[in-house]
Amino acid sequence: MQSWLNQPLTWGSALVLFLWALVFLFIVLGFVTYAIYFERKVIGWMQLRIGPNRVGPFGMLQTVADIFKLLIKEDTIPRKADRALFILAPVLAYIPAFSVLAVLPYTQNLYFADLNVGLLYYVALSGISTLAIVLGGWASNNKYALLGGMRSAAQMISYEVPLVISVVGVILLSGSLNLRDIVAAQSGGWFWDWNFIPQIIGFIIFIIAAVSELNRTPFDLPEAESELVAGYHVEYSGFRFAFFMLSEYVYVYAIAALTTVLFLGGWHAPAPFLAFVPGIIWFLLKFAFIVFFLFWIRATLPRIRVDQLMGLGWKVLLPLSLLNVFLTAIYLELFIKN
Amino acid sequence: MFNIAFTGEFTAFFVFSAIMICGAVLMISLDKVVHMVISMAAVFLGLAGMFVLLEAEFVAFVQVLIYAGAVSILMIFGIMMTKHHAGETEPAKPIHQSLAAIAALSLFGVLFYAIRTTTFPEPAVFQQSEDNTMAIGELLYTGYVIPFELLSVLLTVAFIGAIVLAKKEAD
Repeated sequence: MQSWLNQPLTWGSALVLFLWALVFLFIVLGFVTYAIYFERKVIGWMQLRIGPNRVGPFGMLQTVADIFKLLIKEDTIPRKADRALFILAPVLAYIPAFSVLAVLPYTQNLYFADLNVGLLYYVALSGISTLAIVLGGWASNNKYALLGGMRSAAQMISYEVPLVISVVGVILLSGSLNLRDIVAAQSGGWFWDWNFIPQIIGFIIFIIAAVSELNRTPFDLPEAESELVAGYHVEYSGFRFAFFMLSEYVYVYAIAALTTVLFLGGWHAPAPFLAFVPGIIWFLLKFAFIVFFLFWIRATLPRIRVDQLMGLGWKVLLPLSLLNVFLTAIYLELFIKN
Repeated sequence: MFNIAFTGEFTAFFVFSAIMICGAVLMISLDKVVHMVISMAAVFLGLAGMFVLLEAEFVAFVQVLIYAGAVSILMIFGIMMTKHHAGETEPAKPIHQSLAAIAALSLFGVLFYAIRTTTFPEPAVFQQSEDNTMAIGELLYTGYVIPFELLSVLLTVAFIGAIVLAKKEAD
């Protein structure tokens, strides 16, 4: 990958890079399809149900059938909706979701962009999706959609602040915003060299804020069915709805990969004698564990109340994440610098 | 007069300028306030692209984070509370419009003439640092630490002021 990225851009190399992006798009689509399948299966098992098992062997084609159904559905746009923004919103939700994946490194040699402000790029672009959700809710001209959009904006802004501040500790420890350098800084051989133990406060805050950013249970208030019908996408149908769903699951992919990179040592093995296993396997194992963890808490936790949500974000997570930055800075000043 | 090489950088510059100018024109000419904010967000994104072309990635993504993300969402959040179909229906007067057009054209003429006739001094050789972000951080905490701290105090004061105003209204 490095040789392709560093040579001057010609038509030929542009074509190759474009094809790589296309291959990656299909990998992500495959991930989304089977993440939905496994989510339904895992939650089913945890709740003593069977889950989808009719379409294809073990129900493996259930999601494919669902997507096909969405694609051939009639595309409805409400007459009183704001037509231009109604069409723009799903596009605006998906483009940042896919673009943030560019900076995530998978192994030493497999990465798609080597940006020296990779983490900042991720945070900045993922903020634009919030804009899309608010616009979708507003353009639908429906009170439930509007309420869902407003809740989503309030929640995502409130939790983006602790999310960003909680990774400042990691940046301080590794001295770089480049995600590859952050992984390289965690190479000690053993799993206690990974950032999640020295940055345990930051790690916990990051996980909570990330679940909230993803709008997943227990923070799925923007689409709380019992209160808001379905949230900001009530009026959407067919492939526009599919795009909102898709960007949500692409963010699951992105957050799981980002957690692996920032806190779980990326492609590094947990112990020196396990280093013969290729890095991509370790990356995928950690990644799969985070995705499973997200399904697990969805199956076991109830939704929290909307007034508790804001209090938790501003009064608990934000001061704690600031404290974490302060403690990390003191530690670096006292023990590392001398 | 136009000694321009058509490189990829020039094409990108052209595309970003087009995005910014279209966004700015739409921002003024659209009717609905939410549409205006969206076109303004397009201007911010185009500006971020310009910073990327200048190899200032840090400034570019901070631009996306603060302006295209936070500021736009904040404005939409405020605007969504207003009426859905509130359009300014006051008819524009033709005299006003033609006067505004003449003023804009003459301003453009003055600026264009000034830029074309000025001879710019040859820029000193710019030392491209290894890591822009680190260079910004070091400058901010050594040479410019007092302005930086003063700005943070200013922002804190504004922040506390906003809380006090909001609290007064709530009581």
